[in-house]
Amino acid sequence: MRVKKKVTISIICAFVGFLVAIQFQSTKEPTERDTRDLWEIRSQLQVEQKQQQELYKKIAETVEMKEQYEAMSEQEQIEALTTSIEELEEKAGLKSRSGKGVRIRVEPIIYDMQTEQQFPELSPELLNRLVNELNNYGATDIAVGNERIINISPIRYVNGKTYVNNRAIPSLPIEIKVLANNPERLLNHLEVSQSRDEFAIEDLELKLEIDNQLDLPKFEGNINLEGIEVYELEEVGEE
Amino acid sequence: MWLPALFLVVGLALGLLTNITVPDQYSNYLSIAVLAAFDTLFGGIRAHLEKKFDEKVFISGFFFNIGLAALLAFLGVQLGIDLYLAAVFAFGVRLFQNIAIIRRIVIDKSTEKKNQKK
Repeated sequence: MRVKKKVTISIICAFVGFLVAIQFQSTKEPTERDTRDLWEIRSQLQVEQKQQQELYKKIAETVEMKEQYEAMSEQEQIEALTTSIEELEEKAGLKSRSGKGVRIRVEPIIYDMQTEQQFPELSPELLNRLVNELNNYGATDIAVGNERIINISPIRYVNGKTYVNNRAIPSLPIEIKVLANNPERLLNHLEVSQSRDEFAIEDLELKLEIDNQLDLPKFEGNINLEGIEVYELEEVGEE
Repeated sequence: MWLPALFLVVGLALGLLTNITVPDQYSNYLSIAVLAAFDTLFGGIRAHLEKKFDEKVFISGFFFNIGLAALLAFLGVQLGIDLYLAAVFAFGVRLFQNIAIIRRIVIDKSTEKKNQKK
């Protein structure tokens, strides 16, 4: 009787142990393995090295600028500061600019049909996509109508109208002026771009031409940087 | 006394070696089953020390408790209430009680032995 009892308890014990082992294995997080092969690691290393190079270059430029500032007299310092402010303003779009670029005319396509057709309008989504595409293809400065697009320009849909920089854009046809370092390339890109098809779906046509003297207005209004904070990335150390 | 411990180790080894895992959604059931098993085990040890051990009660209690706990967990999932917490609570309290009683019995026995030696 005693032996039988012991065996029963032992079997139950074994069962408990089994359960605990399964539980342990189920709740254990699988360890993440690095499954990259040699080439992937190499290319990753190359990307990182490139980034490092760029960062070093930036540091060198900044240090040089700092040294220049320090080496100059007060008058020169002020001058240098003003020129850099001007440069920065131009970069930010606070100055009007002119140069070589592509003029895009957005025109409605009116079909000669008996059925009614709604007058097409330029939706913010379309405009957004176009601006993204332009930036992608190497546009340096963009203006929609009389509104200069800067880094924080909002494109919104307000009360049935498309607003750029918090002002409604005029109804069609509208001109979009784009400056680029290489307007021909931009034009070629735009000729075959996705945007063209998307605009066509909305009964809009893009007429493109290269203009050697495009005048872009400056950004009107204040750049509100109140909600902007420096986002500190966790530092990644060198190995 | 060594046999149950040996079997416990054997069971652990078996479980670890077979590499069985339970899907995430059933982990609740398993954890509660483990708890019920522990509860029954310690209850059995306590009953053994109190010399009230009954095999039928032990085995039926083992499976019945696990089943009930799993049922509670299942019901809780169906009703959207964390009912398995009730089982966890009940088993937890009983575990503590059982272990406390086992401890007392062990201490009593050891003091008795010491007194006898003197």
